[in-house]
Amino acid sequence: MKEVIHNVFIIEREGREILATKSKYGSHYGERKIGEFREWIPSRSKLAAMILKGHIIDIKPDWKVLYLGAASGTTVSHLADIVDEGIIYAVEYSAKPFVKFLQLAEERRNIIPLLEDASTPWKYNGIVEKVDFVYQDIAQKNQIEIFFANIDMFLKDGGEGVIMVKARSIDSTAEPEVVFERVVEELGEKLEVIAHGSLEPFHKDHIYVHVRKTK
Amino acid sequence: MKWNVWFGEVVEEDGKLIAKKSSDLVESFKNASNPEALPFNLPEVGLQVFESLEDYYRTLRKIAIKVTSEKVERELKREDRYVILLLKALDKLNESINMLEEKLRDIEEVKISETTEDFRERIEELKRLRRRIEKEIEDVITKIAPNLTEIAGAVIAARLLEKAGSLERLAFLPASKIQILGAEKSLYKALARMRRGKPAKTPKHGIIFIHPFIRTLPKRKRGRMARFMAAKLAIAAKLDYFKGELDESLAESVRKKYEELRREKDKPKKEEPKQERREEKQKKMKKPKRR
Ligand SMILES: C[S@@+](CC[C@H](N)C(=O)[O-])C[C@H]1O[C@@H](n2cnc3c(N)ncnc32)[C@H](O)[C@@H]1O
Repeated sequence: MKEVIHNVFIIEREGREILATKSKYGSHYGERKIGEFREWIPSRSKLAAMILKGHIIDIKPDWKVLYLGAASGTTVSHLADIVDEGIIYAVEYSAKPFVKFLQLAEERRNIIPLLEDASTPWKYNGIVEKVDFVYQDIAQKNQIEIFFANIDMFLKDGGEGVIMVKARSIDSTAEPEVVFERVVEELGEKLEVIAHGSLEPFHKDHIYVHVRKTK
Repeated sequence: MKWNVWFGEVVEEDGKLIAKKSSDLVESFKNASNPEALPFNLPEVGLQVFESLEDYYRTLRKIAIKVTSEKVERELKREDRYVILLLKALDKLNESINMLEEKLRDIEEVKISETTEDFRERIEELKRLRRRIEKEIEDVITKIAPNLTEIAGAVIAARLLEKAGSLERLAFLPASKIQILGAEKSLYKALARMRRGKPAKTPKHGIIFIHPFIRTLPKRKRGRMARFMAAKLAIAAKLDYFKGELDESLAESVRKKYEELRREKDKPKKEEPKQERREEKQKKMKKPKRR
């Protein structure tokens, strides 16, 4: 058993390696509970997939996080285990999945739910504080523009961000490779690109890009 | 400088930032928007009015959950959105069916084969889907807007909803707007003409003009009928939005007005002859452009 990030473990079980977060809470989306751990399923969560692909971001327990595209809270539930002394501001614009998300927000003490459109960050600009980490998973054509707008408003200098990109949502006709190249280049114009890579086989034609805001 | 923050306001006085706590946190939370990035960090300034950071976050979380739950509930009740999206899909489906039928006809002129039969069967399937969507729209609009539907029929009621964007917005539109809903394009054109200094008449008839009670009247009476109907629709929208129960007297009064206008002899009424003629001319002008 190995702790790769605060409260994130890789556990040997039945000869397989599984990812899990240490959590005093119950299952949220049907994941298994193994003792004091909740299995973190990479096909359900892109952040888990990124970690299992070997890219590990040292998320600190007291980080303030802005999470865009929270949906029903699959990934947020694990992130909340990690930043157990921090805060997650979770933005989602669709009401349906947010019903379930609200149960999570009621249960945890470190989640602030916001039913807002991430493309209008000024609307929550008097609520969200300056954060250490911006995470975005919204599968939208203009998601990079949205990412920039939120980073401009909320990310501290030196703070980091991760954006999950599905090739097809940016451009459904171009080759994924070409789309990814363009995306990384565009992000590089404003931010320092720390790393990027594919999320295969967990998520087809998806990449993560890990960035830092430098002055 | 002044900023709207979730717990109230932050003002800059003599170079110092002063936090002011609102007496209604739900209200201030809802209004916490600012166009530019804040030049300070929220919890730090918040400490002026909260006992501790713990107190700050506990309160923030409580308000956020409360406001968000209410918002979610309100959103979910919005079956009006469902209708609007179905209607938009229906429009696309219609376009597709027409386009496919045209292609099929082209092919059939050359040769009829098993493939073209299969093709036709698929188009029939799409038509069945179209009927289902129409039925669903009718069911839902009758449920969420019984008064509008009773007066205007399911099709026009749904279109009005679509043009307004939501039942809430429709409920707050004045009758004069409802009367021209769906005519925005011609309104826009007219305004553009006026800006260029050219003469133009603003349109008076929107989607409600396809209603049989208007269409089947002689042209010179249509304006009056449309005005009357729009006034009743404005009331109906408010009833539907706030109460959701059917008031049959509304539709009844529209029917009566129609009967009255239909029976009315062809001599123009004394009070408004001029206006009637103006509308008359305007319709003539518009006709060729429309089709
Ligand atoms: C792929 S899902 C996110 C899954 C989630 N990140 C997880 O791993 O648990 C994308 C979500 O982004 C939301 N979304 C898309 N565009 C958005 C926007 N402009 N603002 C807020 N949410 C958005 C969608 O409603 C959807 O729930």
